Amino acid sequence: MPATWFQAPAPVARRVRAYFAPVNRSAQMPVLFDPAQQGRFSLDAPPAPWISLGWIQAFVRKPLSKSTPLLTGIPAAPLEQVRETLEAQVSCEFLSWTKLTMALATGSQHMNVLTAASGAAPSGDGAQAVPAVTPQSGSNATLILLASSDAAKFQAGSIVAVDVDNTGQTGYVGSPVSGAYVRQAITDVDYIRRVTFNVALVSAVSNSGLTLAEPLPGGAPGAGAKVQAVAGFVDREGGSFYQEWSALFVMEGSQGERIFFHYPRLQSAAGAEETVMPLNSKHQNGQSRVTLNGRFIALPVSDPLDNERVACYRSFLPAANALV
Amino acid sequence: MQNAKDSFYMALRTRLATVNPERTILLRGAVRPGIIVEEAEAPMSQLPSDVFVLRWLGLGTDAELPATMAGEQCEIIYQTCGTQSFGGLDRGRALSEMDEELLTTIEPYHTPKINYEATPPATMLTQVFWDEPSFAPIAIQRDRLSRTATVMVYSYQEQGE
Repeated sequence: MPATWFQAPAPVARRVRAYFAPVNRSAQMPVLFDPAQQGRFSLDAPPAPWISLGWIQAFVRKPLSKSTPLLTGIPAAPLEQVRETLEAQVSCEFLSWTKLTMALATGSQHMNVLTAASGAAPSGDGAQAVPAVTPQSGSNATLILLASSDAAKFQAGSIVAVDVDNTGQTGYVGSPVSGAYVRQAITDVDYIRRVTFNVALVSAVSNSGLTLAEPLPGGAPGAGAKVQAVAGFVDREGGSFYQEWSALFVMEGSQGERIFFHYPRLQSAAGAEETVMPLNSKHQNGQSRVTLNGRFIALPVSDPLDNERVACYRSFLPAANALV
Repeated sequence: MQNAKDSFYMALRTRLATVNPERTILLRGAVRPGIIVEEAEAPMSQLPSDVFVLRWLGLGTDAELPATMAGEQCEIIYQTCGTQSFGGLDRGRALSEMDEELLTTIEPYHTPKINYEATPPATMLTQVFWDEPSFAPIAIQRDRLSRTATVMVYSYQEQGE
């Protein structure tokens, strides 16, 4: 009779994948991951709104919650324990430099360096930008329709930022991810496009508009959105804003089992920092890979199941036929 | 452990047939994908060119687990003299092509464990899995370029194995 089960040893995993989803900062609404409905997703095609951050390494979780005993009697002995503090930290190294990974691995606003206008005065965040252009109706997440004179201002291979003008808004700005918190009105009309996460690479330019190599994270350009060319990215040590995101880390075991670490709310806990690793360990001064270090603090959410305050969910989907 | 070795070989053979259907070998009157297991063929004084040859070497086990894990070292040897039409001047390109084929073929790094002694072959309960290959430098012997890639192939012993 053929065997129908096996005793599974501890999972053996090669690497860790990380996924990002935006937190609605104004409503303090994170994105929740449901292991029952979404647990078997293709690691290369996560379910919306999760966005892959690629492979990570040096993934370390630190539960820092503290419990304390309630003492009673003489001599005092623990009667029971209570949870005194709820805290957890996560750290990792991102193996790719993208808008998202850079933004998450920095402690404050992460900005797009907009293409500078001719003759503009130098600035650490990028000079005054070439004016934004308005997309036409019918645009979608991968195709931005423009007037031919506007389309001619962009080149294939460039990056674009798509978001609304800054007209003196305050509070959280940027869509679909809050890129900054504005305390007092700022005069720079391009400020929201400087901090927006709604960026993409242009793969082709035609008379009718821009074809994007990847969909805009925010989907089709919304009302009032404008398009501006981006030359690169910049972040600063300092500032008062903390990036916050819903995080999902996945370890896939050799037998198809999966371990999920879901942090509904993670905030940056450290400034921008990099690790330099030589590609050849015998040649320490040779070519080296520069990875982005991220250190995060987990903020609690209230689990609607039983109203407990929790900072992280660890889920395990066993391998097929494995004894549990 | 033989089931793991068979499964690894058959996975690579099936994938190679997709990656490069033209890489074949005529062996005992049959045209097969160009990948063979050395220990399953008649002894040969010279390994065939333009073919991947699997050679099983080391073995390690970890019995302090609910299921014993076996790690088997597999050398994948391949060599080429290039093509006659280019007088062998393309031998470097031909070896690079085989490097790329191996890299493509070896992913994903797992395959179901299958008992090929059964008829029809029976899929077992666990997966065979392995590491990235580690490539040795090219060895040059006159006009022949050869390379060895080493892979550790892991599996769990199942009931009845």
